[in-house]
Amino acid sequence: MEPATETSPRPRWRRRLVKGFVVGVLAVQVGFAINGYRDPHKFFAFQPFNESSTWRADIVRVTWDGQRLPIDDGWAGYRWSSLVDMPALTGYSRTRHASYGIDATLAYLDDALDWVATHTPADQDTRYLEATVTYHRNTRGPEVTVLRSVERSDRG
Amino acid sequence: MSRLDWALEQVGSVRAVAVLRIAIGPITLLHLRPFLRDARAGVSYTDHFWEPFISWLPELSDRLWFGLLWLGAAAAVLMTVGLCTRVASAVTFAVVAFNLLLSQTHFHHNTVFLAIVLFGVALLPSGRELSIDAWLRRRMRRPALPTVVPLWPLWLLRGQIGLVYLASGGSKLIDPDWFGGLVLWDRMVRNQHVLDPTPLPAWSIDVLTSRWLFFILGPVIVGTELFIGLGLWFARTRLAAIWMAILFHIAIEISAHVQVFSYAAIAALAIWVTPTTRDRTVVVGGESGTARAVVALVRAGDWFARFRIETAGPAAPALTVVDRDGTVLHGWGATRIVLSRIPLTFPFFAPLLLPSRLRRVDHAGAAT
Repeated sequence: MEPATETSPRPRWRRRLVKGFVVGVLAVQVGFAINGYRDPHKFFAFQPFNESSTWRADIVRVTWDGQRLPIDDGWAGYRWSSLVDMPALTGYSRTRHASYGIDATLAYLDDALDWVATHTPADQDTRYLEATVTYHRNTRGPEVTVLRSVERSDRG
Repeated sequence: MSRLDWALEQVGSVRAVAVLRIAIGPITLLHLRPFLRDARAGVSYTDHFWEPFISWLPELSDRLWFGLLWLGAAAAVLMTVGLCTRVASAVTFAVVAFNLLLSQTHFHHNTVFLAIVLFGVALLPSGRELSIDAWLRRRMRRPALPTVVPLWPLWLLRGQIGLVYLASGGSKLIDPDWFGGLVLWDRMVRNQHVLDPTPLPAWSIDVLTSRWLFFILGPVIVGTELFIGLGLWFARTRLAAIWMAILFHIAIEISAHVQVFSYAAIAALAIWVTPTTRDRTVVVGGESGTARAVVALVRAGDWFARFRIETAGPAAPALTVVDRDGTVLHGWGATRIVLSRIPLTFPFFAPLLLPSRLRRVDHAGAAT
C-alpha cells in the first residue's frame, strides 16, 4: 500500500459498511470465477480465448409431413442470419471457431433454435428445427451432436 | 485496526482516476456504437435472438431501449468532459451494466471489464480534477472541493481488475491444452492463410506454425497474465507489470481485436499510479527558450501530475529531478525518470528503470 497516503477518521459503522461492501463485491467476483468451471458460457468468469475448438452445423426444418428442408437459403421470408444476428452463430454451414468455447456455442445454438422456432409466425409448415453439429474440441474429434428446437404448436 | 481496515481508511489523490474517467468515456462510446447503429436503424435487441440473463428483468420497449442507449452515450460524453461528473459516471455505468444484463447475447468478457471500470469510476469523485465541474467552481470563485478523498473504491477497483488477470491466467494454467500451447498452436495453424500472403519468408511461417514453439509460448502467456495480476500489487514489480500489461494488450489487439478490451485495459492501468501528486520536483535550467519548451512538454505530458515544475537560471543544469525520497538526479538519470513517468513515453523508457527497480526495495512504493 502506498505510504504517501494518510487515513481519514470515519465512524465505525461506516468503516464496517465499506468493508462489507468491498469484501462482498470481491467475493461475488471470485464466486463467478469459480462458477465459470461449470458454466458452459463462463459468464462473468473471465476465461476468454479458452478454446481453439471449431464447429459447423447443418440446420434443417422438419415439416409436419416429415420433410427435412435446409434453411440455408431462407424460408417463409425468414433468414437465419437476420433472425440470429449473433456473430458467434452466423455462418454455421462452414467450419468456424467456437469463439466462446464449444459448450457455450452449443448452448447458444440450442437456445437460438428455440427462439427461431417460436418467432417465425409466417412459417406454417415447420414442426421443429434441427441442427446437426460437427465439432472438434481443441483439435480432438470430430464429434457430432444433434440439437432440436421446441416443437411448434401453430400447425398451418 | 486490521490491515484491511487501515487500507480502506486511506485517502489520496483522485487525479489518476480523473485521467481514467476522461479515457473511458470515448471507450464507452465505442462499446455502445453498434447498439446505437441498430437504434438509429430502428432495430431493437428483441428483433433478433435474445435470451434474458435475469428472467424478472423487464423486457424494454424499443423506444425505451433506444432512449437508454442515447442517454448512456450522452452521459459518457459528460463524464469525459467532467460536467455533472458524478451523476454522468453513475448513469454511464448503469446503462452499460443494464444493457449487458438485458440479454445473454450482449455478454462479452470485455463488456464486463468495461462495466467494472465504470463502476469504480462512478464510486470516486473524479470530477474534482480535470473537469468542467472544477473549472466552473473556480469561475464562480467557490472553494475547490478536496481532491484528496477516501480511496477504498480505488482499492476495490484494483482488486477487481487484479482478479480479472488472475481468473484468466489461472484458468489457462490448469487447462493442459492451454498451458501446453495446443489452443494457441491450433488457432495459429487455422489462421495460416492470413500469414501466407504477408511478406514473411516461408521459413518464418513454418516456425510460427510449428508445434514446438507453442510448448514455450503457452506457459509464457499464462505466466505473463499471472505476473500482471500479481505484480501490479507490489512496488518492486509494479512498473514491470504495467509495462508488460501494455505490451500484452497491444498484442491482443493486433492478434484478436477484442472489441474495446485492449483500450479499456490499457486505460485502467491508470489505477495503479500512486495516488499522490506533485511529489517529485523537476527543476529546468539552461537556455531560456529550451527551458520554456521543456517545461511546456513536461506539463503537457504529465497527465498524472507526478511533478512539481520549477525553473532555474541559465547557469543551472538543464534538468534536475528531486525524487520523492530526496534523491537528486541530473542529466540522463533525470531525463530517464521524467520520461518514464510521462504516460506517452512510459512504454519506451520504463524498461530502462526496470533492472534497478527490481533490485531495490522501494519504500516509496510508487509505480509511476
